[in-house]
Amino acid sequence: MVVAVEAASVVKVFGNIRALDGLTFSVDSGAIFGLIGPNGAGKTTALRIVSTLLLPTSGTVKIFGMDVFREAAEVRKIISYLPEEAGPYRNLSGREYLEFMARFIAKGSNELHRMVEEAGEICGLRDRLKDKAKTYSKGMKRRLLVARALMTRPKLSVLDEPTSGLDVLHSYHVREIIKRYAKEHGVTVLLSSHNMLEVEHLCGRVALLNKGKIVVEGEPQELKEKFGSPNLEEVFAKVVGFA
Amino acid sequence: MLKGFGPLLLKELKELMRDPKILLGFIIVPLLMFPVLGYVMNFSMETAKESAAKAAVLVVNRDSGANSTEFIAYLNSSIKVFTVNVSTVDDAVSTLSSYNATGIVEIPAGFSNNVTARIPVDVKFYTVFSGAGLLEGIGSSMVDALVEQFNRNVAPNVLVPQKSVIVKGRIVEGVDPRILSSLVLSQSIALPITLIILLTYSMQIAATSVAMEKEEKTLETLLTLPIDRFAILMGKLSGSTIIAGVGAVAYMFGFNYYMGSFTSTIPTGTSIDLISLGLVPSLFGYLLLGVSLFVTLLSALALAVILSAFAQDVRSAQSLVSYVYPLLFVPSLALMYIDINVLPFWLKVVFYAIPFSQPIIASKAVTMGDYLTAGLGIVYVAAFTLVIMYVASRLFATEKILTVKLRFRGLRRREKVPTE
Repeated sequence: MVVAVEAASVVKVFGNIRALDGLTFSVDSGAIFGLIGPNGAGKTTALRIVSTLLLPTSGTVKIFGMDVFREAAEVRKIISYLPEEAGPYRNLSGREYLEFMARFIAKGSNELHRMVEEAGEICGLRDRLKDKAKTYSKGMKRRLLVARALMTRPKLSVLDEPTSGLDVLHSYHVREIIKRYAKEHGVTVLLSSHNMLEVEHLCGRVALLNKGKIVVEGEPQELKEKFGSPNLEEVFAKVVGFA
Repeated sequence: MLKGFGPLLLKELKELMRDPKILLGFIIVPLLMFPVLGYVMNFSMETAKESAAKAAVLVVNRDSGANSTEFIAYLNSSIKVFTVNVSTVDDAVSTLSSYNATGIVEIPAGFSNNVTARIPVDVKFYTVFSGAGLLEGIGSSMVDALVEQFNRNVAPNVLVPQKSVIVKGRIVEGVDPRILSSLVLSQSIALPITLIILLTYSMQIAATSVAMEKEEKTLETLLTLPIDRFAILMGKLSGSTIIAGVGAVAYMFGFNYYMGSFTSTIPTGTSIDLISLGLVPSLFGYLLLGVSLFVTLLSALALAVILSAFAQDVRSAQSLVSYVYPLLFVPSLALMYIDINVLPFWLKVVFYAIPFSQPIIASKAVTMGDYLTAGLGIVYVAAFTLVIMYVASRLFATEKILTVKLRFRGLRRREKVPTE
């Protein structure tokens, strides 16, 4: 099995704060892997390092064998990143936004057209794509951004809290998009969430993160059985000593 | 009283006053800026008056009587006087610099006879015009004061001053330097005002643009794309420059029309054609001025981009940019009225060092045909801009663009970097 993400002993320090403290995990190619944990656990920092936005203070991260520090430019060619609570450009229409983003990846106008059409299908915004993004609801914006992150068919898609702040229906829609796209196009997905119940339905494998460290890792079912818990939330509470 | 107004007002004041960026940018900066401006203006006026009092004039005496000798002695009691023997006033003009003189007084033949007979006599006063500024009028005012005093001592209206100016070494008869100065000032006032508006708006546009990208996290997305990060910076700068450029043209048109409505109120008496006087920049001069404006605009935008990189949201970015405004307002407002050459050396150095003052210095320089000053200013601002852009590109090339944050130690508790 090809390894998509390989993080080894990653430490990230901001001033006096140790955001990541020896983070080690790996994600197989084609898998949907969830980093889960409470606010402040270090999920976003980990995803930003994987996405070449931040440099680790120590340790290494490799994406399909390429180092995120030394080969950042190459890594950026095969990944897409969706930041938490990101928005599109307010005064561009949904379609203009997709075209703008596709231009950096597409090789030629045919591929660009294919990407934008595909993104239109993924987000399901149809005629609303002609409207300015500032007129969209939060759910519509998130669907647009998820579509943007997937339309390029990256080898690795890094999604930070993809359903954050969405209602049940929009969350369901976004989850279905991710699942379908990963399966159809073999896209590896590394996502974060503090909603552990949601992750159970989406990820083949999860790592529970607390205070910058992975406290437990495995398949959701395996973890629930191991800790005799009905859900991952309870598993986490037991692991960190709340239950 | 509106129900709930009191607590809402109190909350609003606490919220705003406890934000150190607002406190500094909107309250402390203006409190310091205007006294500094006032000091600069006052100090400059005093310095200029002193130097005007020390100024020398050349006297061309065509009269051989006692009254002219008495008049020269009278002048000498207030200003330094050198009597020169030349056949024409034009010859005296060429010797002005060797005497470090700024004016010529020509006493006509028959002066003493006329004064004795209490017959009005024309005395010609030629003043060197060196640029627009309120202080240009000081020399003219001194002439008025001297003539008035002399007439009071001798006889009312016996001495009639005929004022002319010397522009770029050429005598322009019948033009009062004070009126010429007012006219040139009214024309040149458009540039500092336009510059202030243009640069403040442009900096706000650039800062808001970067801060919006950070706030909406579109910058994070861009930074993970396979594109040159310098291209992101240049795209931002170029976009802001184009919008600012369009704005500049709009302001120039609007303001010129506005200023045009004032020129009719200037008490010219005689029609003064600035073009024929050579007091309008040449095509090359305009080109230099345009380049100076452009590089200054670019430097301001680059500075705004760097400053906004330290902000986490739009409001913070706008506050941070406002800290730069004193560097724009003080030289612009001061140089609007004062020629930089009359300033004391240390203040001159400070004004030359501020990149935003360069277009104003350049505009006066090119009007007087001094292309070297304008050119050196352009080189300086271009170098400053390159340094700023290099710093900005380094900022964009590293994770600092996402993590760097300005801290106000002592004003508030140190903020933690979000780490999730």
